[in-house]
Amino acid sequence: MTTQTIAFNTDRKLMKTGLNRIIGIGLFLLPLIWMDLTTYLTLTIAGISLGMLIFLIASGLTLIFGLLDVLNLAHGAFFAFGAYAGYTVLNFFNSLGWIETASLSSSLFYLVAALCAAAGVGALLGIVTEKLVIKKVYGDHLMQLLVTVGVSFVIVEILKIIWGVNDEVVPVPMGFQDSFILYGVFIEYFRIITIILGVGVFAVLQFFLKKTKIGIIVRAGVENREIVKTTGYNISRIFTLIFAAGAGLAAIGGTMMAIFNQSVDPGMGDQFLIFALIVVIIGGMGSVTGSFIGAIIVGLSFNYVAFLVPKMALGVNFMIMAIILLIRPKGLFGKD
Amino acid sequence: MTKRLTLEEQNKSNTKAMVNNPIVYLQAGVIVIFAVMPFIFPSFRLMDVMAKIMIFTIVVASFDLLLGYTGILSFAHGMFFGIGAYCVALILYHTSAPAWYHIIFAIIVSLVISIGLSLVISFFSLRVKAIFFAMLTLALAEFAHILGIQWTSLTGGEDGISFVLPSIFNFNQSLGTLFNTRINGRLIVYYLILVCTILLFAGLLRFIRSPLGRVLKSIRENEPRAVALGYKTFGYQIYSIVFSSCVASLGGILFSMWLCYVNPDSVFHTAIMVNILLMVLIGGMGTLYGSMIGSAFLIITENWLPGLLKSIASLAPENIIVRNMADRWQLYFGILFVLVVIFFPKGVIGTIRSILDRKQQMK
Repeated sequence: MTTQTIAFNTDRKLMKTGLNRIIGIGLFLLPLIWMDLTTYLTLTIAGISLGMLIFLIASGLTLIFGLLDVLNLAHGAFFAFGAYAGYTVLNFFNSLGWIETASLSSSLFYLVAALCAAAGVGALLGIVTEKLVIKKVYGDHLMQLLVTVGVSFVIVEILKIIWGVNDEVVPVPMGFQDSFILYGVFIEYFRIITIILGVGVFAVLQFFLKKTKIGIIVRAGVENREIVKTTGYNISRIFTLIFAAGAGLAAIGGTMMAIFNQSVDPGMGDQFLIFALIVVIIGGMGSVTGSFIGAIIVGLSFNYVAFLVPKMALGVNFMIMAIILLIRPKGLFGKD
Repeated sequence: MTKRLTLEEQNKSNTKAMVNNPIVYLQAGVIVIFAVMPFIFPSFRLMDVMAKIMIFTIVVASFDLLLGYTGILSFAHGMFFGIGAYCVALILYHTSAPAWYHIIFAIIVSLVISIGLSLVISFFSLRVKAIFFAMLTLALAEFAHILGIQWTSLTGGEDGISFVLPSIFNFNQSLGTLFNTRINGRLIVYYLILVCTILLFAGLLRFIRSPLGRVLKSIRENEPRAVALGYKTFGYQIYSIVFSSCVASLGGILFSMWLCYVNPDSVFHTAIMVNILLMVLIGGMGTLYGSMIGSAFLIITENWLPGLLKSIASLAPENIIVRNMADRWQLYFGILFVLVVIFFPKGVIGTIRSILDRKQQMK
């Protein structure tokens, strides 16, 4: 069996062993030494929602890597394009004057509209890229890396042609700017929506890969294309769809991040590609569960450290990555 | 009985081989062109283009050592270039009275940082897979870019640092005229770049032709076989990474000395890395000489393309999309990049070599 299939088949539950679990919970509670409980809870919720945003982009990356064996460095560009697509939709609603007066339910409607537009644009971009470029380089890692860097560059330049090079302010629907108080902790609605979306995507992906027929065909196709072809499935179309799905996930992540940060800029793709890469390296390449755990780790540690030692916030992710690589060179859930 | 050649005769035959080899003339010709150009056409723009071609030739050649000869894709090469550039800039900026030994000091510092960092990177990632190395270095390079922008107290943030070169390298200092050309610091830096380029390029050629270089090629072709033959491939790969990142940071020092200015976007940005990749691919991976062609092509186009596009755009001045498309000339580099990777993976030198090989086989 090939690497990827094993990674999906048997995500060995490493964290399940007692010692690992105790260490994990210990590290999770460690920041409590330096802060009070309310701050800790606020930061935890913010951290998990940031983690879910990062998971959205990392999941597409790990999906494409795990199933197609392509490391897609153009993923950041899909992410940025999706962010701009969502921004355009929200801007349109804003020009109608609907954004400022939106209640929570109508805000949700606008969000869904923006996400659908972003996912559509992202998937379309993914299909075009796969058909034109990626198809020619299956099986050659070096070529894939080179070609996707080029594609990323092209997409970002196209983005600059369409939307300009400056930062833009994203109109955030009024309903999301509210928050409620639970045990003295301020919780913004948007954070909860992010967490629900992230967990939902995780569940759908797991279900799709493990329980549905398409998931089985894809996994078989990775293992042996020719045999799957002889059984009558159009494997190259399925590969295109997987690539499009990955790109669509990146685009959804982009729109969510645009609302989260309330701004978009052409360089955002590169910035969040690092986060995604770190998450994928921590979690183990090709493992969706690994990416999920990795994204939560990165989101939480980023928030805790940004509160305690603001200057270290970016560095801490690299430190965590280095430590995990020292202990497990293939990442938490990585297989060989 | 065959006559054994004496040492003198051997030297003679070597000289004869050199005289008959067209490559030697080509090399000498290129060096002479670069050496006399500032006197024939004393224009600043031309000199700037030539100096940048030379600097990028060594940066790209050192990258080719990694990509073409060792088969490792490192996205951190631009970062090492930036480290060199920032070392010299920071040291000259923060000393009140810069002197020539500060440049030496900057070279030592940047080499130490480059060696340390490349060792750390290789120990972390080479244990696993080449693809892993690419991911890790990409993340690190992005991190360096962000650090350059955000660590304003040290790097000056996005505004960058401009500094003045010490003693004879100072641009404002004039040392008289020669053949109607003013000898100033800029000209001296130009020749410094020329000499450094020749030395470093010769060093790289020596490196790939050494037994070590041959082992590296064998690792690229078939790693398990190289291991089976008893080579410790890990160690050899580290040699190549350390050496090439040192050369890259020296290239960065020259770049920064030529411009007397650095900012994060000019040395750490992904676009620089994409340019370096494109230069390697156009020239041909694993050819070393290709770096010269690649960097010459790209830098000349970079200087001439925006103007051309602007003149095209002026034909349709009202259309915003046309104007934007003319402004974003990097787009065409990106498209060229993708096309080269897919349809022209051998590059110029690689294609010429394979044509020559085929001709020889026909004979």
